[in-house]
Amino acid sequence: MGSDDEPVPIFGSWPRIYLAVIVSALAVMALVALFAVFPY
Amino acid sequence: MSDLDWAVLVAYLVAVVAFGLWTGRGNRRIEDFFLAGRRMRWWAVGLSVMATQISAITFIGTTGQAYTDGMRFLVFYFGLPFAMVILCVTLVPFFYRAQVFTAYEYLERRFDARTRTLTSLLFLLSRGLSVGVTLYTQTLVLSVILGWSEPATILLMGGSTILYVVYGGNKSVIWTDVAQMAIIWMGILLCFGIAVTQLPAGFGLRDALALAQTSGRLRVMDTSPSLTTPYTLWSGLIGGLFLMLSYFGCDQSQVQRYLSGSSLTQSRLSLLFNAFLKVPMQFLILLTGVLVFVFYHFHAPPLLWNPVEMKKLERHAPASELDGVRRSFAAALEERRTAAQSYARTRDAADADAYVRANAAVDAARKQAIGLLGAVEGPRPPRHGLVEWLMSVLNIKPGGYSDTNYIFPSYILAHLPRGLAGLVIAVIFAAAMSTLSGEFNSLATATMVDFYKRFVTRSASDERELLISRVLTAFWGGFACLVALRAGQLGSAIEVVNRFGSYFYGSILGVFLLAVLTPRASARGAFYGLMIGMASVFAVSRWTGIHFLWFNVVGAVAVFVSGLAITALSADPPPARSSEARAA
Repeated sequence: MGSDDEPVPIFGSWPRIYLAVIVSALAVMALVALFAVFPY
Repeated sequence: MSDLDWAVLVAYLVAVVAFGLWTGRGNRRIEDFFLAGRRMRWWAVGLSVMATQISAITFIGTTGQAYTDGMRFLVFYFGLPFAMVILCVTLVPFFYRAQVFTAYEYLERRFDARTRTLTSLLFLLSRGLSVGVTLYTQTLVLSVILGWSEPATILLMGGSTILYVVYGGNKSVIWTDVAQMAIIWMGILLCFGIAVTQLPAGFGLRDALALAQTSGRLRVMDTSPSLTTPYTLWSGLIGGLFLMLSYFGCDQSQVQRYLSGSSLTQSRLSLLFNAFLKVPMQFLILLTGVLVFVFYHFHAPPLLWNPVEMKKLERHAPASELDGVRRSFAAALEERRTAAQSYARTRDAADADAYVRANAAVDAARKQAIGLLGAVEGPRPPRHGLVEWLMSVLNIKPGGYSDTNYIFPSYILAHLPRGLAGLVIAVIFAAAMSTLSGEFNSLATATMVDFYKRFVTRSASDERELLISRVLTAFWGGFACLVALRAGQLGSAIEVVNRFGSYFYGSILGVFLLAVLTPRASARGAFYGLMIGMASVFAVSRWTGIHFLWFNVVGAVAVFVSGLAITALSADPPPARSSEARAA
C-alpha cells in the first residue's frame, strides 16, 4: 500500500491541483455560456 | 440489426465477460473481493467512478433530452468539480485513514451503531430497488427498439454482469469499467463525428448550431432565481453541488470505488480526474443529441419514437384522424426543412421567425398524435393502493407520455452504417453493465460488512467470508433481475422508486458533515438530526413546488443545524473515541 505523501503528479501540490480544478471548471462554464450565445 | 451488428454486439459481450473473469482472479480475502486489495491506480479508479455514474439511460436519455429540450440539463453537472475538491479535502482522508470497507462503517466509529445501521439500511433499500428499476428501464428501451423479448434482454444484460462480478468482485468491476469507459468514449466521439458528417451537403456545423440556437436547443444558462424552475444555473451549482457531495461522498457504489485506491493520493486523484472530464463529456453527449435534432430536419422522423406505442396508435386510432395528424406532421416537417435552409442561407430575422414557427408546428403535430394516443388508451382507472397513497403523500405526479429515451437508439438503428450500429448498441450495453456491476458489488459489501459481519459473526475464515460475499453478490444481482422482470406490472411504483433516494440523500450527507466538520457533535445529535433532516425534505416536497435538486441542500442543512442544536441541548459529552475516529 502506498503512503499518503506520494508526490502529486504534474501540479506538484494539493492546493495547486485543487485550484486547477476550480479554474478549469469556471473556464468550462464560461466557454459553455459563450458557446450558447455565439453568433453562428 | 444486420449480421455484422450482431457479430459486433456478441463479440463485445463475450469479450467483456471473459475480461472480467480474467482480471478478477486471485481473490483470497474480502478485502481483495470488495476493495481490489486496495491496490488500484488513480486512472483505473477514476474511469470506474465515471463508468459507474454513466448508465445507459444517461447515454440515451440525455441525447434524447437534448433533442427535445436542449442542453440545459448540463447545469446538473456544474456542481461536480467543486464537490470533488470538497470531498478530497474532507471525507476522503477520513474514510481512507479509517481503513473502512463502507462509508457507513465510519459512522459507527464516530457516532454509534444505530446511525451506521440506519444509513446503511437506507442505502440498501434505495439502491436495491433502484438498481432493478434501472435495469428494467434500460432493457425496455433496447427490447422495444431491437424487437427483443424483454425478459431475455434483462437476463442477458443482468446475467452476464452477475457472472463476472460474482467471480471477480471489485477487481473485475474496476477493470471492466476501464474497458467499458474506453468503449463509451469511443462511442461518444464516433456518434458526434457521424452526426456532423451526416449533415446535408452545403450545410455545415456552423449552420447546424445556428439552427439549434434559434430553436432554443443551445440555451444552458438560465439565471432565474426561482426554486421551482428545473435546471437553473443556481440549482445546478448549489443543488448539484450537494447532490454530487451526497452521491460521491455517501453512496457506497461510489465510495467503494475510490477506497480501492492504493493510497490516499491515488483515491483523491481518481476523483479529481472526474472533476476535469465529466462536464466536457456530458457536453459532447448533449451536443450529439442537438446534432441529431438538426439531422432530422433533413430526414423524416417518426411521428412517435416508441414503435410499440406507434403500432398501438395505428391499430386503434380512427384512420381518418390519424391520417389527418400524419398529413399535418408531414406538412410541418416540409415547412421546417424549407425554413431551416432559408435561415441557414440568410441568417435573416424574418427567416428565423419563420423557422421557429415551423418548428412549433412540428411540435404541435406531435402533440396531436400524443393526444390521440391518450384518447385511444383512455383514462387510467383510479386506484387506491399503497403506491397511489405514497404518490399522494410524497407529492409525486404521474408522468405523462414520453418517448425521449427512444430517440437516440432509433437514430442509431435507422441511420448508422452496418457494424457501427452494433458498436453503438454495445456502447449502450457497456454503459448499463458498468453501472450494474458497481451497484451489485456495493450492495453486497454493505450487506456483508454492515450487517453480516456486524450482527451475525465477526470472525469467520477468509474462505467462508469470500463465499458469503459471492452469494450476497449473486443475491443482489438476482434481486435486481427479479425486480426488473416484475417492473412492467409496477406501473407508478417506478416513479416512487426513482424519487425514493432523493428524500434522504442530502440528510445522509448532513450526518457525514457533522461527523467530519464538528468535533463536538454527539451520536444522539446525528441520529435525531437525520430524522429531522428526512422530515424536512418530506415537508418541502409535500407542501412546496421546489425542484428536487434543492432537496439535498434542505436535507443536509437541516441535519447539520438540528444535529448541532440537539448536541448542545442534550449536553451529551462527545464519545471518547470520536476524536480518535475523526483523526483516524
